[in-house]
Amino acid sequence: MDVAAHPVEQHEAHDHIHPAPTGFIQKYVFSIDHKVIAIQYFVTGLLFMLIAGSFAELMRIQLWNPKGTFMDYHTFNQMFTMHGTVMVWLVLIPLVTGSLGNLVMPLQIGARDVAFPWLNMLSFWLIPVSGLILFSAFLLPDGAPAAGWTEYPPISIQQGTGGIFYCLAIIVVGISSTLTGLNFLVTIFKMRAPGMTWTRMPLFTWATFATALINLFATVALSAALLALLFAQAFNVPFFDPARGGSPILYQHMFWFYSHPAVYIFILPAFGVISEVLPTFARKTIFGYKMIAFSSLAIAILGFAVWAHHMFPSGIAPWLQIPFMILTYLIGIPTGIKIFSWMATLWGGRIQFTTPMMYALAFLGTFSFGGITGVYLACVPVDFHEHGSYFVVAHFHYVVGGGAVAAFFAGFYYWFPKATGRMLSEKMGHLSFWLFMIGLTGTFMPMHWLGLEGMPRRYASYEVFAKAFPDAVFWNRFESLSSSLMVLSVLLVAINIIVSLRSGRRAGNNPWGARTLEWMISSPAPYYNFKKIPIVLDKPYDFTQPLPYRNLDDEHQDPYPVPSEAALPRGATAAVGA
Amino acid sequence: MSQVAPSAPQVVPVKGLGPGFGAVTVVLTIVNIAMTLAVLYLPLDFLLPSESNAASDSALAVDGLFKFMTVFGVAITIYVTGYVAYFAWVFRRRAGEPINTVGVPIHDSTKLEIWWTVLPTLLLVVLMVYTIVVWKQLQFPNTAASLTTEVVAHQFYFEFRYPGLQGSIYSPKGEMHLPAGRPVKILVTAGEGDVIHQFWVPEFRQKIAAVPGMVTELNITPIRTGRYDIACSEYCGKNHSIMQAKLVVDSPADFDKWLAAARVAAAKAGPTIDLATGDAGAGKTAFTQKCAACHNAAGGFDAKIVGPGLLHIIDDPAHPKLVDGSAPTPEDIENILVKGYTGPIGAMPNRQANGLTDGDIANLVAYLVSLK
Amino acid sequence: MAVSAKARSSAFLERASVEARFHDVDPVYAETRDIRTLGFVLFLLADCILFSSFIFAYLYLRTSAPVWPPVVDGKQIEHLDVAFGAMNSIVLFGSGVTMHFALESWKNLKKAAFNFWIVLTIALGLGFLSGQAHEYLSAPMTWTGSSFGASFFTLTGLHGFHVFAGVVFLTVLAIQANRGVYTGSKYFGLVAGTLYWHFVDVIWVLLFFLFYLW
Repeated sequence: MDVAAHPVEQHEAHDHIHPAPTGFIQKYVFSIDHKVIAIQYFVTGLLFMLIAGSFAELMRIQLWNPKGTFMDYHTFNQMFTMHGTVMVWLVLIPLVTGSLGNLVMPLQIGARDVAFPWLNMLSFWLIPVSGLILFSAFLLPDGAPAAGWTEYPPISIQQGTGGIFYCLAIIVVGISSTLTGLNFLVTIFKMRAPGMTWTRMPLFTWATFATALINLFATVALSAALLALLFAQAFNVPFFDPARGGSPILYQHMFWFYSHPAVYIFILPAFGVISEVLPTFARKTIFGYKMIAFSSLAIAILGFAVWAHHMFPSGIAPWLQIPFMILTYLIGIPTGIKIFSWMATLWGGRIQFTTPMMYALAFLGTFSFGGITGVYLACVPVDFHEHGSYFVVAHFHYVVGGGAVAAFFAGFYYWFPKATGRMLSEKMGHLSFWLFMIGLTGTFMPMHWLGLEGMPRRYASYEVFAKAFPDAVFWNRFESLSSSLMVLSVLLVAINIIVSLRSGRRAGNNPWGARTLEWMISSPAPYYNFKKIPIVLDKPYDFTQPLPYRNLDDEHQDPYPVPSEAALPRGATAAVGA
Repeated sequence: MSQVAPSAPQVVPVKGLGPGFGAVTVVLTIVNIAMTLAVLYLPLDFLLPSESNAASDSALAVDGLFKFMTVFGVAITIYVTGYVAYFAWVFRRRAGEPINTVGVPIHDSTKLEIWWTVLPTLLLVVLMVYTIVVWKQLQFPNTAASLTTEVVAHQFYFEFRYPGLQGSIYSPKGEMHLPAGRPVKILVTAGEGDVIHQFWVPEFRQKIAAVPGMVTELNITPIRTGRYDIACSEYCGKNHSIMQAKLVVDSPADFDKWLAAARVAAAKAGPTIDLATGDAGAGKTAFTQKCAACHNAAGGFDAKIVGPGLLHIIDDPAHPKLVDGSAPTPEDIENILVKGYTGPIGAMPNRQANGLTDGDIANLVAYLVSLK
Repeated sequence: MAVSAKARSSAFLERASVEARFHDVDPVYAETRDIRTLGFVLFLLADCILFSSFIFAYLYLRTSAPVWPPVVDGKQIEHLDVAFGAMNSIVLFGSGVTMHFALESWKNLKKAAFNFWIVLTIALGLGFLSGQAHEYLSAPMTWTGSSFGASFFTLTGLHGFHVFAGVVFLTVLAIQANRGVYTGSKYFGLVAGTLYWHFVDVIWVLLFFLFYLW
């Protein structure tokens, strides 16, 4: 190549640092910086979490009495519908992919931003738009959608215009999710730092990659289902009307083809968080890196093949039940591999009980328990009893609340110092943790046996059931009281944030003494992340080895990072032993 | 921010599998054995589905499978949470420990990873086989049904049909009856133009969806007489929570007696009007011609003209009851149209005075039911 | 400084020939082009899932129907006119061929040929859309009357929307190309347009088979 005749700058594309954003709007409102977008996702996610959580609290007040008169049935139906819809699409997915994924993944791979920063900004702003559409349904004469977060036809078609707003809102949020998946996939494929081969990538990035695959390919199927439902509701198109050749079961197939992989969108990033938090606070390498990485891919792919386990007693042909059951059982294998690998990661460590570590340790217990109840539900004959009962509600709240949300909080406490430069209060963090876990157990453990005894879900009144099983009243009240602990926990998180932003200890680059690339730059990171793109020589997790990086911005980076004083309990020594 | 003096990591070695590993394993195993025995032999009725309320052959099979899974579920939970708690305690960082201490650098162990992949897989394969055996028994029972009965789910009541029985039995006033000890086939569907419901009897451990335009089936042999609740377990609209019915399992002799008596009573009541043929559109026309002078279709009970308003007549539990304290059914509406009404709220002429044909009545019922 | 059209055109040709002679692309551009190509391909794959979902719905409804085309109001719906569908398909597939020639012309720096082929592509695309409009107006079933109408109009409507968007896309590309936005070595937009147009063709192969031939 004749350089002289060809005046082109000889550097990599991603070496280029774009000019800094100026002005309040560019910096904090319409920002293309993935770190700012992450914070925007977090704030909206937390806000929607408090709103959806309040809906659940209102439901628990109604269920204090078997024949509750706190709200009428139609209002209750809107409450459980909106609770589920908001939690799934406006809380969980934005928090785990939009917030954690955006903040951490580009930093972990040594990139300056994601592949398409403008699309990233659009993905965020579609969330408040979707929320606006969804909540404006409360102003309709028939109110908000009220057929469950699943909005099955024919009932969702019968119920009025709330369902139309549901379809529009979720199609919008689906676009956000799809674009994020596309963005993250291209970023991870094309923008890793030199030397970062696939098997040197941090596990949270592996998890984000597997999640992005699902985000991209599954969400479009949801948009199709909701488009069909929208046409049915608004224009009387008979996809689901048996009188004109349609089938209500068709909707369930189309809906669950997305919605089962969706639960892996919640949990895979959560698994990624655990894989980062455990090594850092046990001060030892992750056990079974390759198996954990590949099991994420296995779960993502297998997750597309199990959707009909939500439909066993729904009228599908019996011969379909067994293959779906077998595939669902099989997903337990890669999941079990992860749990055992994490346990082996703890073995022989020097464990520090910081707030993120507490959540990660509890996760191992609560998620395993939730996963086991999932095996029960996968078992067709047992599911014939448990489907549509509180057992299902118990199962998914354990894997989502005790799994995805708990791990999300672990990630939140872990990376908050990186995002803001401040440490959160450990005391408030520990208190939040205990409130959350005790509240979770008290609210959702009794639901297992209530469901087994015969209490159906989505019931605004359980008078008949309580006549047959009088202990139901006690347990429902127990659950209602326990649920308030979880609300307190989340409120305490909000207080912790506000207090710590003002007067939390300043976090340095690496308060936890961790080893992945995001901890090699300042907290908060500059808008361009890395002045020099680092070079990666090995996996990050081995604490007995020096850091496997060259060309770091901080030329005096300690090759063996240790927790800084900011991270230790006040008064503890930061002394180094010989 | 870098450290003042870079420090090499100090590995803290572990003797064997950890201090007290053996003792902890023994304790966890003892707890596991105790809980397993409890699950298998104690009457934990309030926690687990148990024989004490199993009311069908399938319930027994399902409960057995459930117990099998619980034995392993309990074991996994005890060992996972137990070891996590043990590791967290025995491998905790000690107070005052230098910050450069690190744990033992084990990256993987092929032997261990093979064990914890193969063992769960084997366990799942065993579970698959056991499950398929039970599933086959439930879906394709080897004894032919001695009775085929039909359940039609509507918003918000169940309709029961029996061979040789003219018309139907409607919940909640009417109850479904089944004979103990005899295999029964229950064909389930939802009313035309209705929504998806689900027929669930917890004591049977079986449920099946009621889908409009489709017939699903349940094969059951009840084994215990008694009164049970049928609950709708698929969200079906405003009154989903109060859509229940009663199921009575009789001894075979009592069942035969009941069915015979029901057939006689239905036949004596004369040829019933087939409400299924009613057309709401035609009913609206009939209403305008014959009823609108006294009744308002757009207003609730209080929107009186001469008689009460009829909006939500079928699905509003707050609407005054038409007959003897139970919620109105289409049958009840048909009754009033046929016989008329004399009571505290006024008087309404019967069908002859109003000039209503069978078709009119079916159409009017369809129309009034649609006023939701 | 005003530059004459002739001067601009010859500057374009000179730069393009220099780049073509050295057969290499600015590495900064190459990396961006790779990122954008992967992004665009992933977008098309996601779009495939959209069509696949509705194709699944159609297959589900068709295979569970007692007779096909279904019976509405006592009369069985007529089968669609295969001859007309085939003719319209040829128009669309032809536009795929012309688009291929358009891109090749651009790569060989034949600007006039490029303009000819891309305008022909757009015209054929519009021709296909008018063919569809005729098909819709003369169809023996309605969107709301049966599962046949529901599937046919939804799937071909989605496809037609994609064709329309493609026509707009190609028009913008043609204008941009003539304004000098693309060069002999930097023409990602044209590659994206060609990929998209071929995607629309492939989907139509499936739909033609599913609704006309089967």
